[in-house]
This record gives sequence, structure tokens and C-alpha cells, in this order.
Amino acid sequence: MTALFDEKTLRKLDRLALVASQIRAGAMKGDRRSTKRGTSIEFADYRDYTRGDDLRRVDWNVYARLERPVIKLLEEEEDLAVHLLLDASRSMDYGPDEHHKFRYAQRLAAALGYIALAAGDRLTVTTLFAVNGQGGAGAGEQGSRQYGPARGRHHTLRLLHFLEELKTSGVTELDSSIRTYALAAKRPGLAFVISDLFSPSGYRDGLNQLQGRGYEVTLLHLLAPDELDPPLAGDLRLIDAETGDPQDITLDGGLRDLYRKRVESWRDEIEAYCVKRRVNYIPVTTDTKWDELVLYHLRRRGLVK
Amino acid sequence: MSFLTPLFLSLGLLAVPILILYMLKLRRREVEISSVMLWQMLLRDREANAPWQKLKRNLLLLLQLLLLAALIVALARPFLKVPTVASGTVVVLLDASASMNATDVEPNRFEVARAIARQLIDGLSADGKMSLILVGHQPEVLAPATGDKLDLKKALGQAKVSEGPADWEAALALASGTVRASSIENSTVVIISDGGLPANLPPLPGEVRYVPVGKSADNLSIEALSLRATDKGPQLFANVANYGDSDRVVILSFSSGGQLFNAQQLTVPAGKSTNVVLTDLSDDPAVYQARLSAPASANTSGPLDSFALDDTAWAVYQPPAAGRVLLISPKNIFLEQVLAALPGLESFRLTPGAPLPTDPFNLYVFDGVITDTLPAGDLLLVNPPPNSLFTVGGTFTNTALSQIAANDPLAKNLNWSNVHILKARQVTPPAWARVLVAADGGPLVFAGEVGGRRVVVFTFDLHDSDLPLQIAYPILMANLINYLAPSQAFSAPDGLRPGETLTLKPSGGDTVIAIEDPHGTRYAAQATVAGVLFADTHTLGVYTAFSNQSVLGSFAVNLFNPAESNIRPAPFIRIGRSDVTASAREETGQLEIWPWLAAIAFIVLLIEWWIYHRGPTLPAMSDWRGIFVRKKTLP
Repeated sequence: MTALFDEKTLRKLDRLALVASQIRAGAMKGDRRSTKRGTSIEFADYRDYTRGDDLRRVDWNVYARLERPVIKLLEEEEDLAVHLLLDASRSMDYGPDEHHKFRYAQRLAAALGYIALAAGDRLTVTTLFAVNGQGGAGAGEQGSRQYGPARGRHHTLRLLHFLEELKTSGVTELDSSIRTYALAAKRPGLAFVISDLFSPSGYRDGLNQLQGRGYEVTLLHLLAPDELDPPLAGDLRLIDAETGDPQDITLDGGLRDLYRKRVESWRDEIEAYCVKRRVNYIPVTTDTKWDELVLYHLRRRGLVK
Repeated sequence: MSFLTPLFLSLGLLAVPILILYMLKLRRREVEISSVMLWQMLLRDREANAPWQKLKRNLLLLLQLLLLAALIVALARPFLKVPTVASGTVVVLLDASASMNATDVEPNRFEVARAIARQLIDGLSADGKMSLILVGHQPEVLAPATGDKLDLKKALGQAKVSEGPADWEAALALASGTVRASSIENSTVVIISDGGLPANLPPLPGEVRYVPVGKSADNLSIEALSLRATDKGPQLFANVANYGDSDRVVILSFSSGGQLFNAQQLTVPAGKSTNVVLTDLSDDPAVYQARLSAPASANTSGPLDSFALDDTAWAVYQPPAAGRVLLISPKNIFLEQVLAALPGLESFRLTPGAPLPTDPFNLYVFDGVITDTLPAGDLLLVNPPPNSLFTVGGTFTNTALSQIAANDPLAKNLNWSNVHILKARQVTPPAWARVLVAADGGPLVFAGEVGGRRVVVFTFDLHDSDLPLQIAYPILMANLINYLAPSQAFSAPDGLRPGETLTLKPSGGDTVIAIEDPHGTRYAAQATVAGVLFADTHTLGVYTAFSNQSVLGSFAVNLFNPAESNIRPAPFIRIGRSDVTASAREETGQLEIWPWLAAIAFIVLLIEWWIYHRGPTLPAMSDWRGIFVRKKTLP
């Protein structure tokens, strides 16, 4: 087992499953029931034939053409696609060891990913970051990493290794990276965006795109406790970890108060927007125990069952 | 405003580095954080508060410059020129006589004088020296020549006013000495008083200034209260004087032993006095008190006058202690004369053979005769026949002096060398007797106590000697009579004035004499033959004297001082040949104000600290964490 999780923890996650309330899931392969009865003839996708599949499902036309048996997948038979979008920009690299944001994000992604794999969902994990101001995501882009799509519990170890090796670098450009990802979407499903949202260019356009593509979006807003209530005072020059931009500031009691209030209202703004757009918004502080988050908070919100 | 040490003002150059530091760019500590996005958002929102920030910085600069200015000016010791009565070397004479108790100025004249002295101390120049002399019964130096204002004020605070007259001559002598000890040219003597200085005071060196205290002359006083023993019994005489400018009606009440027995309403014209005589008083010893009070009428209330010390007087009546002496003798001119000459004796003569009178006498003098039953009382036996007290033998003629008990108080100062005695009776001195004069043949004079009586024996007939013609005779007889029929321990029929001394003579057997003053304080002293001198008569009232055996009597101390009772403040006083009038505040003294500047500097420091830490809003308690800043490092 890796440093991220131990067996005991994974066992706890075994019995959980992610909930999709807004989109439909396939009935068959994902062990999920559809709300609809009866089959629809709507064609969704092809899949290579493997031993054990029902021969009646083979598309003989394609076999005739390509001499390769493929199975036709219908709409209801789709399994749930779970997309984890992980913000791996430099701003995530913050916080003391026990409250480190990126570590927390890794753990969170691992937890959600394991739940998805254990439940037979189709998992894709992608890092979001931009290089040279250009947003990019998806395999093949310089620096961005992707794992999956993967299905099945046997992917767990590889998933954990993948997550562990992730490093932060670059600048947060959530808007463009998410938009790129959305446009490249093949299988919309559940999307979990794990980020600190420190993106000057915004995030709303990206989320819009995702939703437009049919994704059900959950936004996990990660912040370290020091970012909510910074233990700073005096005449300072603040340096941005991502851009290196300096900001001169003279910090006294009054200003810190105002900053705290500003963070609160910023979160409230995001929450209000998300509620309006039917995006699930979970504000997370990294001093919350992650298993408490998953087992309790997410479950309470109906995202996990 | 001028400065005592203006060189310190050059420290103002320190303002330059402060300004430079403020003008330099503020050095900021670099801290890396995850994102400045929120901070930028915040600062954009706070555009409106930016002026406060600028203002705050300038405010702090201003406060620091102000602090520096206050401290530098304080160091330069600025002073204000204040008008004062004297500067340089000053000797202050503070009148503490009885009239300074008057309450015509609030709270009383002495406190006002004290306040004036305090102002003089304040106005003393930095290099000046002041001596404080309290003029009371004896002049007292409160503070020797010193420039320490704090010391002077402390010494001034301990000064107390007295109830008796002041000794101005001694005080002026002391002041002269002090002036001469320093320099005469720059010296000033300031007399703070209400007048009432005696005439013919010697002149003072240096400059003399006079500060008058008090404003009213309205005073009624009891000038005299005395008792006289007459044939018809004691008489009480009282005299009331009015020192004011208007006629006054007053009530004079008399009490004896605390009980009021007589009260009279008197009209005393302005500037004059009225007498009152009381007769029909009992012959017993008593303490009489006379008091002046305002008549109770509709429009007068409050105290009678502003000087209360002379509104009460006491007199003690002690009937003449008749030392009654009975002389039983055929005829002895020597004894008769000496008994008549000694004071305090009432002598009677009885022919021998006649029965003893039944009236008791203090002393019986038996000359050559004796009765079978000896009377109760002290005895002086001259040439005694055989009797019950001791054995008498024949006569002897060897009467050359062999021994005198020189240490015995009765034989004090006795010179027997020229005394010749023809013959003396042979007497064995009994055990209770001590021999005062002895000859080779036997004792000549011995004395002692037996059976509750004192006995003195001459073993020879006075006509058989030339003792009565010697100086030794009256000395010896005075000692012996004093031993046998002691007079009063003291005599003070008219009472005493404050500060006067009283001599108390102990009788034999007294070892300790104690005197209790009107406040109840006891003064005790060993009783010696010379007597006890009591001088602590500074409080007005009735004093009681005790010995370890008995109460010796009481005596009164009254003010009875026209100079003090006349509380009219004098506009000028006469020293030497010149009249000194009340001084205006013509000189200029120095009042230093650096303590105020130091206080201002401290307050400015507090304000600066407050502004630096508070900022535009009130900080919460958790913000104090921010003082300890942790630098963020990359993990």
C-alpha cells in the first residue's frame, strides 16, 4: 500500500458509491439501475467484444466491415463516467505538512477515485494547469497528466501510484483548462473539480462549458486554514507563489479582519453562483479530516452513498 | 520663558535622523504565499481607506517629533518668571505664636502662613537656598540652608502652631546667624506673621521683608482669672477684654468641678475691659473654669470670635496649707523667731503644763518638756526629758563635733565648725533614728520616723549653745521644719503662662513625681531634694501633679497674654530702627515647568503606541497572534 492510504482506510471506502442525481447511468455494466424500464434503441457506443459478452449484442455490420467483433452499447447500458479534475498549479503547493493543500487534494482524489473504481464506474483523473498562459488538459498536452479511463478495482494500485507522483507546477488557469477539457469530452458524467479557485481569469466559463456538455459538476473548494486567517502582521511584501507578483501591504489588526471577511464573502459568492447553476459546492478547509469529509460531509450532501 | 540649560536644545538635531528614516522607503519583509489574488481584491475594495493609511504614517511621524520636542525642552529646563517675595538666599521666619490660631482667614492664620511659605519655596531660584525657622516658644530650625524644594516642603509640612507666645529675640538672633553664615549681600529674611512682635528688636543684617497674615481684629478674651483667699473665703476675679472695634455683649460662665454655677452677661466696650468678682465661694480646693460665649439671640450664631484660645481660662484654688505648729516652751525666743520666719507656718504657743488643745497640729515642738502621751503629729524635741520614745541619761560635756552626716539631706550645707555647746543630754539613739550631728560624748541631733510620725531631737538646750547665732541655725531649722511640716509641693496661685516652668518640691518619701497634662499625657521624673523642674507647659488647661504617695495638687496654664489676644494684624513691624512694611511681590522667582513637559511626553508616547497598534478599527483579541510572524518557506 502506498503512503496515501492504508488498507483499513480503503476498506472503509469499499462500501461507498458515488451518486449521480442529475444524469442517468447505464443499467448493465456499472451495476447501476436505470430509472427507465425497457430498453431504448438509442445507440451510444461500440466496445470491443470480450469473452462472456452476449452474442446477440454483436454488431454484425461492423464485424463484416472491420472483421473485428464489437458490442453495441445502448444508452441505458452506459456506466457512470467519473471525471476527477485536479488543480495542480503552484498555488496548491501551500500549507504545513498536515494541512498541505495538494496532499489533501491527492488524498481526496484517491478516495473518490477508489470509490468510483470499486463501484465499477469509468474513472478518469486529470490534472489542470496551464503553461505559458495557455490552458490545456488531456493526454498529450505538455505537462498535463491523465489517468484513465479505467474501470475495475484492479486499477487501484496504479491509480494511487499515479496520484502520488503528481507534482505541482505552473499557473492556475481554470477557465481555459476546464473549457478545453469540456470540449474534448467524450463521455460526460460526474465531474469533481478539486481546486483552490485562485484563478484570476475566473472559473465560471469553464464550469458553464462543463455543464453545457452534460456534466454534473461538484466543486470542491480547497483552502488551507492559514489562507482563511493569515498569521501575518507588519509591513510585508507578499509574493505570489505562481506568478511571483509582489504585493506591498501593511498589515494590522484591522486589515486582517477585513481580509477574513473578504474570504468569507468570496466563498459566499461562489456558493451563491453554484446554487444558482446547480453545481454542488463543497467548501473544504484542509484541517478537516479527509475521511470525515468523505464519509460524513459528502454523504450528507448526497454525493456519496 | 527662558531656559536654565539651553545647551540641551541642540539635541533638536536628533529630529533629522527621524525624518530621514521616515522618508526612506519602508523596508518590507518578503513573504511567499499561495496567491495574492484575494489580497489584491481586498486592496481594491479598500481604496477608500487609503488616505487613512497615509495619514496614519504621517501622524506617527508627527507624534514622534512631538515626543522628541517635549523631551528636549524638558531637558533644557525652562522656567517661568513668577513674582515672588524673595529669591537668592532666604531665611523664612514662620510665626507660630498663639495668635496664629485665629480663624479669621480660612482655615486659620498658620495654615495661610504655611501656604505663603510654600509659594516662597516654589519661587526659589534653582541655585537659591532657604532656611525655615519656626518661631514658637523656642525658635526651631525646620530646615537648614538647602535648595532642595522637596525637603523644604516636607519640613514645612511638619511645622505646628503653638498655644503660647513666641520668642522673637531668640528667633531673630538665629536668623542673623544664618544670614551671616552665608552671604549678606544676597540674603533676605522674610517674616510671615500677623504682627505682635515685641518692641526693641535688634536689627537684622541683609534685607528684611514682612508678609502679613490675618485680617480681623475682632477678639474677646479673658485677660485674668485668679483666686484670692480673704477672711470671708476665697474670691474669684475675672477680667474680660474686647480687642475689636465694636462693643460686644458676651456671656461669661463659671463652672467648678465641671458644674456650672454662675453666668453673667457683660457688655464690653471696644478696646476696653470689664471686671467681674465672685464671692461666696466654698473654701474647699476646687478647679474653676471661666468661659466666654456668644449670647444666644436671633441674629448671632457661630463662634464668638475668631480666636478661641483666650475664651477659656482656668484657676485652681488651694486653701493655704496651714502648716500648724504648736510650740510648748517656757520661753524660747530662738524657736519663736525661726518658726515665725519660715514660710507656710502658722505657729501657736502653749505654756508647759497646760493641757494640749484638741485641735490637731501638724507639728509639736517640745522645748525642755514633754507630755506623757505624745500627740499624733510630727515632733521636734529640744532638750527632752526622759520619755517613751527613747532613753535619756545624764549630761555630758564633751560636745566637740565628731561627726556630721553630710550625705543626709537634712544635714545638707550644714557647717557645724563654729558651734559650741555647753552641755548635752546623754541619749542613746534608737534604732529608727539616724544621727545627723554627733559629738564625742554622744549624739547632738538625730531624726527618724516612728509610729507614723516624724521625730527630730536636739539633745541640748538651745540656750546652752551658740547655735542660734550661727548661720547653721536657720539652715538646719529650715531643713528640719521642711522635713517635719512640709509645705506644699509647689505654689502657683495665679497659674502659669505657656512655656513657664514650675518647680515641684517633693516631701520626704516621694520618689517619683508625675504630672498629667490636659491631654492626658504623663510626664514622670525622679524626685530629688532639689525638686523637679517641669517645663512642658505648652498646652492650655489644668495640669495635675502626683507623687507615688499622693496627689500633690493641680495648676492651670492660661494664655493671659494681651500681645497675643490682640490679634489685630500689624501693617508693619519694627526691626531695629526701621519699619518693615508688607512686601509686594516685587522680585521675580523661577518656576520650573519641566515636570509638566515630561508628563506630556509620556502621554504622547502612550498615544503613539495606541495608534500604531490599533489602526482604523478595533482589533480582536486573536489578532495579537499576528505579532509573531512566521516566515513562509517552501516545503
